[in-house]
This record gives sequence, C-alpha cells and structure tokens, in this order.
Amino acid sequence: MDLISRLLRKNTSSARIAGFVLSNFIGLAIIVGGLQFYQDARTLWETDGSFIKTDYLVVNKKVTSANLWGDASSGFTPEEVDDLRSQPWVRDVGKFSSTDYRVWASVSQGGKGMSTMLFFESIPDRFVDVDAGVWNYTPGDEVVPVVVSKDYLALYNFGFAGSAGLPQMSESIIGGIPLQLTLSSEDGSVTRRLTGRVAGFSNRLNTILVPQSFMDWSNGLLGSGTESESPSRLIVDVSSPGDVAIGRYLESHGLEVAGDKSNSSSSFLLKVIIGVVLAVGGVITVLSLFILLLSMSLIMEKNRDKIHSLLMLGCPVRSVASPYIRIVVVASALACVLAVASVELLRGTYLKALEGLGASAGGWWIGPVAGVAVTLLVAVFNIVSVRRKVISSWRL
Amino acid sequence: MNPDDKITAIRLSGMLPRVFLSESIPASDVWRSELVLERGRHYLIEAASGGGKSSLCSYIYGARVDYEGTLWFDSENAATFGMERWQELRRRHIAYLPQELSLFPELTALQNIEIKNSLTGWKSSEEIEESLHMLGIDSRRDYPVGRMSIGQQQRVGIIRALCQPFDFILLDEPVSHLDEGNNRVAAMMITAEARRQGAGIVSTSVGNPLLMEEYIKLRL
Repeated sequence: MDLISRLLRKNTSSARIAGFVLSNFIGLAIIVGGLQFYQDARTLWETDGSFIKTDYLVVNKKVTSANLWGDASSGFTPEEVDDLRSQPWVRDVGKFSSTDYRVWASVSQGGKGMSTMLFFESIPDRFVDVDAGVWNYTPGDEVVPVVVSKDYLALYNFGFAGSAGLPQMSESIIGGIPLQLTLSSEDGSVTRRLTGRVAGFSNRLNTILVPQSFMDWSNGLLGSGTESESPSRLIVDVSSPGDVAIGRYLESHGLEVAGDKSNSSSSFLLKVIIGVVLAVGGVITVLSLFILLLSMSLIMEKNRDKIHSLLMLGCPVRSVASPYIRIVVVASALACVLAVASVELLRGTYLKALEGLGASAGGWWIGPVAGVAVTLLVAVFNIVSVRRKVISSWRL
Repeated sequence: MNPDDKITAIRLSGMLPRVFLSESIPASDVWRSELVLERGRHYLIEAASGGGKSSLCSYIYGARVDYEGTLWFDSENAATFGMERWQELRRRHIAYLPQELSLFPELTALQNIEIKNSLTGWKSSEEIEESLHMLGIDSRRDYPVGRMSIGQQQRVGIIRALCQPFDFILLDEPVSHLDEGNNRVAAMMITAEARRQGAGIVSTSVGNPLLMEEYIKLRL
C-alpha cells in the first residue's frame, strides 16, 4: 500500500464499512429480487402481453330480450361513447368494426377438409400491441394476419375434433396452417380469395381479429355501404384497472366486461405489491447510502489535518481522494455482487414453482442491470461527496 | 503563463493581514509597502512574535488569503489562482517549510521525505541518505517522526522542503531548535540547493536566524 493510502486509511472502521455492505446488500437484493420476480411472474397474468395490454377492457351492452325483438339496439350511440370517453378513469376508447360481407374459411389437412362461415372484427391498431410490420395489411397482399380467441381453439380441440374425427392441434401447428378465405359481398357479385395466417391467440378478445387496414379495405370493396355507425363492442384503455368507479359505472349503464377481468385487477395488485417492495428496497438502499456517506465523512473528518497537509505538499486532489474512493468502489461492488448472486440463487428455486404455474421466465438481465445501475448511482454519489470533502480541506 | 516558466519575482503591493487593519503597525519593509522578492536573492525577515511572518509565508504559499492588497507572481495576481494552479506551484515552483513542520508523526523520517519526493521525483534515494547523514539524523531515518525531538523533526522538514524544484523557498523559522553547528549545515544545504536552481530564499526568524552567508534583511 502506498504511503498516502497508509496515512489516510487510519481511523477507517471496518465495522462501519461492513454495516454499509450489509445494508446496501439487503436494499439492493430487495430491489433486484423484486424487479426480477415481477419480470418472471408477470407472464402469469399477461399471457396476452403480445397482443393487447392488460389495462384494456372490452365492454358491451348486456343482451336482453328487448334486443331480440328489435326494440333496443345493442350498439353504442355516439353520445354513449362520448359519455364513456369523458370518464376520468378512461384514457382512450376504440370501436370494434365488423365485416359487412360474408366470409368462408376452409382448411384442408391431410386430405381431410373442413369449412365454416366466419366473421372478422377489428380494433384500432393503437390498441394492438403487435409489431406494426406484422400487424398490417396493404391492399394486394395475399396473406392476412389473424388473432383468434383461445376459446375457439379449446372448442375445436376438446369439443369438435374428437367427435368429428379430426386431429387436435396446438397453437404452433395452427400458426403454420394457411386458412383459405373466401370473401363475398351480400349479393354475391364481388368475390375475393385470400390466405389467412394465425398470428396468435388471445385470452381476452373473444373474437377473430384482423388489422384495421384490412377491415377498411375489405368493407370498402365488398360491403353494402350500410355499415352500422353504432359499434356493439368498445375497447377501453383505463388508467387504473382496480378503480371501483369503473365497476359502478359499468353496472349503472348496463354494460359487461368481456373476458376475465379479474386478470387485469390481479395484475394491477401485483404491480402495487411490487411497487411497495421496491419502495422498501429503495428506502433501505438510500439509508445504506447515508451510512457510507456518514462513515466516509467521519473518517475524513478524523483525517482532516492529514488531508490538509497532503494538499499543502502539493498532492493532487485525486491522489488524496483515491484511498477513500477505492473503499467506496470496493464496498459498493461487493454489495452489488452479493445481491445479484443471491437473487440468482433464489431465482433458481422460485422459477421451478412459477413454471409449474404456467409462467415463462422473463429476461434474466433485468435484475442484474437494475442492481448495477443502483450501485453506480450510490457509488457516484459517494465519490462526488468524497471529492468535495477533500476540497473542503483545502484551506482550514 | 506556461506552467514550466520560472517565477522571477514575487511582488507584494500594499499587502496587510486583515487582522492588522484596525491596528496601527510599526514601520515595516513588508506590510503596506511595495516589496519585490527576486529569484536568486536571499532574504531574512526578522520580526517580533506576532508580526505576521507565518501569515506572510502562508499568503505566498496560497494557504491563506486573509489579506488586503495584491500579491503578484510576475505579472499574475495570485488571487486569480485556482486550486489546481496552487498545487502545481507547490510541486514545481515554491517550496515551504512551515513553522509547525506539518510532518506526519506516524510515518518515519524517511517516509515523510519520500511522500514529498514521490510527488516531484526530484531527489535520488542516495541524495536523501546523504542529506540525512549531513544533518546527523541518518540513524533516525526509520523512526516514527512523532517520537523525535523538535530539532530532529526540523531537520527532517528541511530535507523534505528541498525535495522539489523551486523558484523560491519559504522557510518559517527553520532552525529555531537547532544548535549552531546544525544551523550552519542546514544553511549550507539550503543555499547550495537554491544556488543550483537559481532560486530565491525567504527565511524568517524571531532571534535564531538561518546562518546564510549573504542576505537582504527585511523588517516586518
């Protein structure tokens, strides 16, 4: 050890430094672990993450016998849409558009074929969380991307395939099978043949979804031009899914939420819990930062005369500061490595349980990256304060 | 000014420690006057205790700034120097032996000298050994300075102050605890090093002056 370090390390309390390492380790481990767990567990709630965010609700009017006799419309009037849009918990409202023509879909596989009448719906692209390059249709394209409700696959696999003697199909197999689509106008005068490709399945959209651009093009070409201006379903982007005002509003207006809405509120709950955990970790980290700050400050205060004498000899500030900066860097790095390593160990055990529940592991890097980022912040803060403390000993 | 340029003169223009502002001070060659300290010359500043010798050294070394008037390093006002500039000056242009020595008591005599020499790389270890021998403290080289007498510490301080290039060396009562023999050796070493570098010497005294052969005497 060089002479300057030997001089300045005197009065260093290893107990205080260890106290910092321990508390910084605890704070960091909570932050890193919380983030990593959130990243790993969110797939439990967000299986639709790739198509539609959990904060979206799909609402429709309850169907009553009045609808059946044509006395009341199940569509939303423009006034009703505006009223919904003006609610404080609503960020955005989108209308479902549906096809104004006939759709036949047929699949042939291994000599066996089946065909069925279908319908399509679309929602504005801003609500669909798929890469714009994939979720797009330009007139002239042969292939249309389609997102299908998971329920339909279940109906086919467990209800229909067995009784009709057809093979069961997995999601990935379906994605590879082209769907022969025949679109024709009501009067049969215009017909188009296209290929549909299943781009994914959704738990929360009980429909067959096509890109808005395809819907606009096909309705213009094949529609009767009498497309209803009152959509029967709306997609609503809400600011806080847990808000009780949402339930009250929906009930008083006779509206229903499609799909499993408990998903969105439990994912909201997960976010709240993770938020609390991160806040606790953050507070502990900030406290540990102050432990280091105070102990460095104390050592440097005790060595103030020596620091001053070294500066009087012409020692550059960085040489005087470096023994302390080394302590800060080594202690912070130690806490960071310990925290990240123990979270990785912990992750190894909980991942098995999570995967048993059906989650797929998220990015492994989020925890370590967050840990390193917080450590850098703590270290830089301390390094700056060490330098300032050295400079403050310039003139006693 | 280029950091390598020598300082040829230090000029004190109407300088006065602020504590003296409200007092009437006796006639002085230094305070409230125009004084030029030139490179290559030797100055002995004599004063009664409390006359401000240590203050003068601290001002020139940049350790304190509680003065009125202006301190010039050639054409530059010292008040404009930043911390980096002062550190540079202290390593390459101005040497200083403070009255309180500012040695590190837990380090040995040799380590105290090396801590300065490592900043400047000015002296070889043979030269340092030679100086220790000449001042008669070579047997104490590995003793912690805190356990040495003030006179021995003063000799360590003198050797340390000489371990750098300088245009001026400020010595604040450097030999107050030395006998005449050691005083002469110290004076010889200091003037030899100053001559070699063409540097100026500013030494203060309250009664036991550094025994330089020729010098300009200033009353504080």
